Amino acid sequence: MSRDRSIQPEPIAANLTPMIDVTFLLIIFFVVVSQIVEVENVDLDLPHPQEAASELPGEQSRVVINVLRGAGGDSIGYRMSNRRYMADTAGLEALARSLAAMYRQNPALGVNLRADRRTDYRWVEPVFQAVSAAARLSGRDDVKGRVNLVVVRDD
Amino acid sequence: MTRTGQSASRRRRCGARLGLNLTSMIDVVFLLLVYFMAATEFKTGEEIYRLDLPERGRAADPFELPRDPLRIGVTTVGRDEYVLRLSGPQSAGPGPATFEELFVFLETRRRSDRAAGGVFEADHPIIVAPTGRTSWDHTMGVFNAAVRARYTNITFSAP
Repeated sequence: MSRDRSIQPEPIAANLTPMIDVTFLLIIFFVVVSQIVEVENVDLDLPHPQEAASELPGEQSRVVINVLRGAGGDSIGYRMSNRRYMADTAGLEALARSLAAMYRQNPALGVNLRADRRTDYRWVEPVFQAVSAAARLSGRDDVKGRVNLVVVRDD
Repeated sequence: MTRTGQSASRRRRCGARLGLNLTSMIDVVFLLLVYFMAATEFKTGEEIYRLDLPERGRAADPFELPRDPLRIGVTTVGRDEYVLRLSGPQSAGPGPATFEELFVFLETRRRSDRAAGGVFEADHPIIVAPTGRTSWDHTMGVFNAAVRARYTNITFSAP
């Protein structure tokens, strides 16, 4: 009788090891896959042409110029590398000077141009002029005025 | 205490398993998991078109034969409608009305080894000519049609 009383019931416990394994795997997945939201990318409704012949951006270093959306088809300015430029002659000249300084540091710098699909062309075209001017202002022969027009692919 | 009682109590003490308390770690790990799941933003499929801007002030090649560029005007009408207007070679007659028709128009006129009847070389100058009020979406629609038809010398005009 005394022998039976000395046998204690085993404590019931869930084996948490597989769950912790899976949880850590999930965390590692999210850490690797997620990227810090690029603050330089402004939330814009980009054009999405049908049957787009666009290509994936390469791994080259690049700077993003956003044409900030205003009311209707207007724009309220431009944004590049967390700095805002007014949509007037002075703002565009400042943009060209900043970009020229970047070109001097890195002649192979790519320029991504992001504009909202509803924005009028008259706000986008000055950026082409500014990029051309920046290539000229950089004073380097190996800098080519070139932009990457950013769109969203539907399919 | 008897000898038997002492050994029983020692056994009970030794039987208590040593183990780390994982509760706090699991709490933190779950918090991290929830954070990453909530904060992760999967990248939308952003893609690019490469556009070489014309070099201003470049001396013209004296041996280059002038080629009449094909000018494709596009105007936004209302909110989502657009009107295409072609000028230059091959622009006589009713022109394409949609981006798909524009693509077919350009594709069938591009000279290639496989198809006869092309009139434009792949590097024939094509000028996308939107008005100032044309939406960027419609501008890119024209540009996409020309890129899709595999033309390589595409520029934008000033509004």
